[in-house]
Amino acid sequence: MVKLTIPAPELMYSGHSACPGCAPALAMRLMLKGLGPRTIVSVPACCWTVVATPYPTTALGVAMLDNPIESTGASISGLRAAADALGLTDVHILGFAGDGGTADIGLQALSGMLERRTNAIYAMYDNEAYMNTGVQRSGATPLGAWTTTTPVGDGARGKAEPKKDVMGIVLAHRPVYAATVNPSFPEDFVRKVEKAAALRGPRFFHIFTPCPPGWRYPSDQTIEIGRKATDCGIFPLYEVEEGRYHVTRKGGSLRPVTEYFQAQGRFSHLVPEDLARVQAQVNADWQRLLRLESGT
Amino acid sequence: MGATIEIRFHGRGGQGAVVASELLAQAAFLDGKRPQSFPFFGVERRGAPVTAYTRIDDHPLGIRTSITTPDIVVVLEPSLLRTQPVTDGLKEDGLLLVNTRNPAQELMIPVPARRAVVDANQIAVAHGLGSLTMPIVNTAVLGALVAASGVVSMTALDQAIEEFVPARQAENRAAAEDGYHAVRMVEANMPFTPPVPRAVGPTPQLPEGPMATLSSELIHTAAWRTLRPVVHLEHCTRCNFCWKFCPDDAFQFDEKGYPVVRYEYCKGCGICVVECPPRVIEMVEEV
Ligand SMILES: Cc1ncc(C[n+]2csc(CCOP(=O)(O)OP(=O)(O)O)c2C)c(N)n1
Ligand code: SF4
Ligand code: SF4
Ligand SMILES: [Mg+2]
Repeated sequence: MVKLTIPAPELMYSGHSACPGCAPALAMRLMLKGLGPRTIVSVPACCWTVVATPYPTTALGVAMLDNPIESTGASISGLRAAADALGLTDVHILGFAGDGGTADIGLQALSGMLERRTNAIYAMYDNEAYMNTGVQRSGATPLGAWTTTTPVGDGARGKAEPKKDVMGIVLAHRPVYAATVNPSFPEDFVRKVEKAAALRGPRFFHIFTPCPPGWRYPSDQTIEIGRKATDCGIFPLYEVEEGRYHVTRKGGSLRPVTEYFQAQGRFSHLVPEDLARVQAQVNADWQRLLRLESGT
Repeated sequence: MGATIEIRFHGRGGQGAVVASELLAQAAFLDGKRPQSFPFFGVERRGAPVTAYTRIDDHPLGIRTSITTPDIVVVLEPSLLRTQPVTDGLKEDGLLLVNTRNPAQELMIPVPARRAVVDANQIAVAHGLGSLTMPIVNTAVLGALVAASGVVSMTALDQAIEEFVPARQAENRAAAEDGYHAVRMVEANMPFTPPVPRAVGPTPQLPEGPMATLSSELIHTAAWRTLRPVVHLEHCTRCNFCWKFCPDDAFQFDEKGYPVVRYEYCKGCGICVVECPPRVIEMVEEV
């Protein structure tokens, strides 16, 4: 009767303690829809440890290991070895970590896991700051964004440095599969996860996850902001399989970046010249991505 | 008064519990007291339970520990009464102040203390503090606390808000004033049964099996919202976008394939309203 475009089984339960409108909650929901119940998740300190564990309950229908913030990569290498030793070779091992725990604090463990060719999936849900501890800037915070440690006012104008290119760092390790996904595009998201699930070796996801309190926008705008991020070219959707690029959402020309920036309080101090610079960078990055795809 | 007055605040991240405890201390200082204020170390996520402490004394305080036997417990979010041990240690002759619009239901808690209630959400919304979905209730609750307990003077609270609240001082002062007048003392509607003392023994061993095995669906998050989505099924096309985009998995389908909101879990984020293509979901005020 109901025609669903993504799998019906829910492995993320209601009653979790994410904020209203939390995209990282949707990211976990979609990730587990794609991977299914034979999965073990390793979560470092980040919003998701708190979201999943209103003690004595769990919001996950799969086993979860809570680990220190810097060690997600190492923990999934260990989980893989243990699972294989027990003969659980069909079980998916998933590391599910924030941007702070990935781009900054856990970068060496991620690099180690990729370099060891661990047969596991590492997913970074990127809400572009340390949210669990109250919005401090991370390496993944974009240029110009307000956070509590990159304030606005008295001459300060948000983060002065551009966002770290985590996909670039990961791709330098030549994983078997890496993709960007966005909960605003659930079918694309689940299709990529299902594809990755069928492969063996190190796999990586960069998940775009708006955060209403951290980005300062009303909670009903989460999906819309995610959609704008992709359609304005800020967060293009693509996958890289054995080095081959494939852009999975093109849809004609990019929307102007102002549509994305205007929707968020964390960028409200930016002036047209700032946005013009961002637009130029986004255009150049988009052309570069298209060239990587066409192999020219 | 003489002895130290100990006040413990319980709220959710975003409601201003920590700021409430600081403002109360500032007001006490303006009254010539020697107060202290500090939060419990924990997460700062919106919606997460937050605890903060204020002590008020005539003399400088040496003690730095958290408050376990409070004279006053202030609860900014009524659902915490069911999910957190907020009344633990509350003195028998103490005071419990709860922000609620539904006192009969919320106050079925077995403590002997006096109880006061105030509908601070309504006051905060009326003064445009926070949003409809997350009103900032701290100043309205502080006004109510002054009326119900007299721990600080209203003049001092007013001045503390003026000096230390970073924005919208006028609205916050008005909210405190409204809270002062709106607070009501209520009778306990359940006989007091003394709690069974907790067994004190050696720290339990960590289990070798999983730590948490119950589903989080045991926890109802309905009280997080101030607005609820209502689906007008006459115009629903059964596209299931609402289900697909709900971060709380709060939709199920009836046997004809129409969406049904599981109101126990909906946090009122409003995503389904915005994402519904024919726009047949509407947010209505909780009653
Ligand atoms: C080594 C270490 N430093 C600091 C912390 C405190 N801490 C807990 S969660 C967190 C934020 C993590 O940010 P991110 O990885 O981006 O996840 P988010 O909270 O945004 O979901 C921090 C700093 C910690 N747990 N361990
Ligand atoms: S702070 Fe942001 S990422 Fe963390 S639970 Fe809230 S909405 Fe989600
Ligand atoms: S308001 Fe938000 S939490 Fe409630 S049903 Fe709609 S999408 Fe889900
Ligand atoms: Mg983060």
